[in-house]
Amino acid sequence: MIQLQKISRHYPVGFGKNYILKDIDLTINEGEFVSIMGPSGSGKSTLLHILGLLEEPSEGQYLFEGERVDKMNEKKRTQLHRGSIGFVFQAYHLIDELTVYENIETPLLYKNIPASERKSRVADVLDRFNMVAKKDLFPNQLSGGQQQLVGIARAIVAEPRVILADEPTGNLHSDQAKVIMQLFKHLNEQDKITIVQVTHSDVNATYGNRVIQIRDGHIQP
Amino acid sequence: MWRNYLKTAVRNLMKRKLYSAINITGLSAGIACFILLALYLRNEWTYDQFHAHAAELYRIRFDYGEKDQPVTHTALTPGGLAPVMKDFPEVKHISRVYPLATTVAYGDKVMNENSFLYADPAFFNMFSFPLIAGNAATVLSGPNMIVLSETMARKYFGTTDIVGKTLKINNRKEYQVTGVAIDPPANTHLKFDFIASYASLGKNDTWNSANDYTYIQLASNTTASALQGRLTNLVKEQMGNATRSGVTFGFVPESVPGIHLHSISLNSTEPGGDIRYNYILTIIAALLLLIACINFMNLATARSAERGREIGVRKALGAVRGQLFWQFIAESTLISFCAMVLGIMIALVLLPAFNNMAGTTLKLGLGSYHIYLWLAGIFLCTTFFAGTYPALFLSGFRPVQVLKGRVMHGSGGSIRKSLVVFQFAASVFFIICTLVVGSQLKYIQHKKIGLDRSQVLVLSGENFNRQMLETFKGRLLQQSGVKYVSASYDSPVSVGGGYTIGNLEGKPADYSMNITAIPVEKDYLQTMGISLLAGANLTDADIQDVLKEDKDRVYHFFLNETAVKQLGWTAETATGKRMVMNGRAGTIKGVMKDFHFASMKSKIEPIVVFPEYEWFGEILVKTSGDNQQQVIAGIESIWKDYLPAVPFAYHFMDEDFNGLYKSEFRTGTILSTFSIVIILVSCLGLLGLAAFTAEQRTREVGIRKVLGASATSVVALLSKDFIKLVLISLCIASPFAWYAMHQWLEGFAYHTRLHAGTFLLAGAIAIVIALLTVSLQSVKAALMNPVKSLRSE
Repeated sequence: MIQLQKISRHYPVGFGKNYILKDIDLTINEGEFVSIMGPSGSGKSTLLHILGLLEEPSEGQYLFEGERVDKMNEKKRTQLHRGSIGFVFQAYHLIDELTVYENIETPLLYKNIPASERKSRVADVLDRFNMVAKKDLFPNQLSGGQQQLVGIARAIVAEPRVILADEPTGNLHSDQAKVIMQLFKHLNEQDKITIVQVTHSDVNATYGNRVIQIRDGHIQP
Repeated sequence: MWRNYLKTAVRNLMKRKLYSAINITGLSAGIACFILLALYLRNEWTYDQFHAHAAELYRIRFDYGEKDQPVTHTALTPGGLAPVMKDFPEVKHISRVYPLATTVAYGDKVMNENSFLYADPAFFNMFSFPLIAGNAATVLSGPNMIVLSETMARKYFGTTDIVGKTLKINNRKEYQVTGVAIDPPANTHLKFDFIASYASLGKNDTWNSANDYTYIQLASNTTASALQGRLTNLVKEQMGNATRSGVTFGFVPESVPGIHLHSISLNSTEPGGDIRYNYILTIIAALLLLIACINFMNLATARSAERGREIGVRKALGAVRGQLFWQFIAESTLISFCAMVLGIMIALVLLPAFNNMAGTTLKLGLGSYHIYLWLAGIFLCTTFFAGTYPALFLSGFRPVQVLKGRVMHGSGGSIRKSLVVFQFAASVFFIICTLVVGSQLKYIQHKKIGLDRSQVLVLSGENFNRQMLETFKGRLLQQSGVKYVSASYDSPVSVGGGYTIGNLEGKPADYSMNITAIPVEKDYLQTMGISLLAGANLTDADIQDVLKEDKDRVYHFFLNETAVKQLGWTAETATGKRMVMNGRAGTIKGVMKDFHFASMKSKIEPIVVFPEYEWFGEILVKTSGDNQQQVIAGIESIWKDYLPAVPFAYHFMDEDFNGLYKSEFRTGTILSTFSIVIILVSCLGLLGLAAFTAEQRTREVGIRKVLGASATSVVALLSKDFIKLVLISLCIASPFAWYAMHQWLEGFAYHTRLHAGTFLLAGAIAIVIALLTVSLQSVKAALMNPVKSLRSE
């Protein structure tokens, strides 16, 4: 489903280049639950951002379902971004001015989904996550774990094929982390959503079925 | 989607109260001022355009001048012109207009009326002053007919249903009311309360004096230049033998809608507007709105750090730039809508005060749809102008950078700084202008003008004959507190009469010179405190000379220094010389020290003061200034003995003097008022920026304080950057202000000089204001407990 070929990412330092990622070859198949691990600054997050189209690689090719992403026009990329990819962040990144309901609704707005369908899809997700009672609260009225649940709800509401999670439990204590990880596992197994997470935690990595170690911009064999 | 945008916008507005308040206040102040100035300027630019035949209406200008001397342009034409022009094929309608302040009486209501015109029958056919009652074609068709404005009808009769009633005019004649007109609008140069038929005057159609305005409406198939040609021929025919070579004498049609801003004629029915001031006000209006918009832009982009995360998240969720752009436009729309509503309310509240200041009677006119188009235009302009840059700027953020926590501290900084510099340059510019205009006005008021105008009461001399005046004067002088009493043809601070002198002793026979002159009563020089360089004051014997029969009459003239100098004489040699002025033969009795008898915009010209007891427009009473009220009451009771039917009215000569600089004083007030608004709005912007800078640097301040920085040094740190910007704006604004003020002062023959001190003062004011604004926030930041700020990071 996702194929990276010789992907590099660098930025100029003086007259030379500083590589964050170098010659990454990676294939992720549909339905996988992949954990990317590595020390700070090793390039995990950059790799995730490239996968999520938030950043462009300096070199190499990115194929999504066999199609070259760098060859796509803006419209198609936006469609891919909106329709197939969901994001979960370490710091939740909910929009403070919007309620739980509105936060979850936002990706659907950008996908131009009609109001009635939006309503039913958000209602479904709220129901599924047991958050119906909290739908009119603002993010700062929720605990960290609850906020991350909203974050995940927001990521799956547009029914993506892949969820990219950047240390989703980094700001949570272990009980909350467990709930979140189980949710991911469930999404992966029941809904067949491909999941790629960046994590520091060996425990979290065990929820997935593959671990990729990354160090100094290289994937460790 | 739009609902979502709007919802976020409203919540953002509520969340950042200071930010919203600054934005809305600044913008609404800008909008309110813009509305007021736009109303004023609209009034100025549309003068006399409401007449249905505006394009065909002309006023005839009269140009005359002696050989080698400047030509005088006046709106006053000989009364004999109209009867001749009436037969021109180019003229469809013609009407003379003759203003004459008088008293109007109905029953026991007697009042002085200044806005009283006499006009020929065609007046209401030519000008679009709609009548409530009466037939436009006939209301002025015979003698002793009068048309009242609606307000006057209500003032005298309490109703407008008054056709057929009579009013007693000038205590003598009964005029019959033939019509009632809707009050003339603010934007006409022909404002009137009363219009009586010209025939009531019983004047001869003279060519010997020029006291009438002549208005014509062109026939439909002709042009102004055709009329001009015929007027030129007329002068040749009529004046053929009278015109000598080099002498100017001619009539020129001036378009009526152009009179207010473009006429070069003197003696118009009301002082014309100054097109330069209109340009300045247009610039001020635009600047005010611009500066308010700049505040908005600056505050919006300064908040980028805060909004950055939201933008990043939205982009990660699939938003494209266009969608974010519209989201920010929605926010601007909301803010500018609030500002618009508030601005309109402010404008409505301030309109009376503004009218008072500008001397206008403007209305916002919420009844007509035009105003809504205008307001909608202002609203759209503000929204797009203020909103587009921040929307482009903010929607262009790259999500990864923000999401990685790389906060965009410096971004947009240089543009923001340039905009602040622009705002403060405008502020400094206007501070300098205000200071210079103020000092020039002070200079005008305090300059010794060569005559003592203080504590001089001016009464109307119109209803006095010579004998009455003599005894009236005698009784006034017995009043304690009255020092001198005299009389003159017109006001000593704005003398109008144009004369020619010739037959000068020791000069060639054909030598003549244009000169201003004023007929006066015996004690004029003492009353006005005009000092003599040579010769002596008038005696009773001199007056007897003037009162003799025509052939024995001998005049006594006083010339001023400038006149004597122009004649190539000195004060001593001039005294005693014989001369003739418009048929008045006599000798030069003395030479006066120069005094200002016109606006300081022009140089002091030659003038002749001479006794002549034909007609005195003004009685001048010099008082000591003690017990003013009592003295005035005393004068009033004496007046009542002489003229019981004429209401007693007086004013101080200082008012006449200040009247000369009405437009300058008005400019001064308008300039200082709007400068203050510009400065305030700029400061609001600065306040907002300072608040955000202080907030952004909270952590830095915390660390510095932990390391031992004092509160003072923190305030200095946070204020320094802003002060630098203000200094830069000072450097930018000063040359522009210098140039502008230099030009303005050049318009005065007598003016103050531009001092470096003014510029330094303006700079100091700007810096102090900026410092106060900024330190409000810096001090707050400096006094914050560092532990708190560091923990929150």
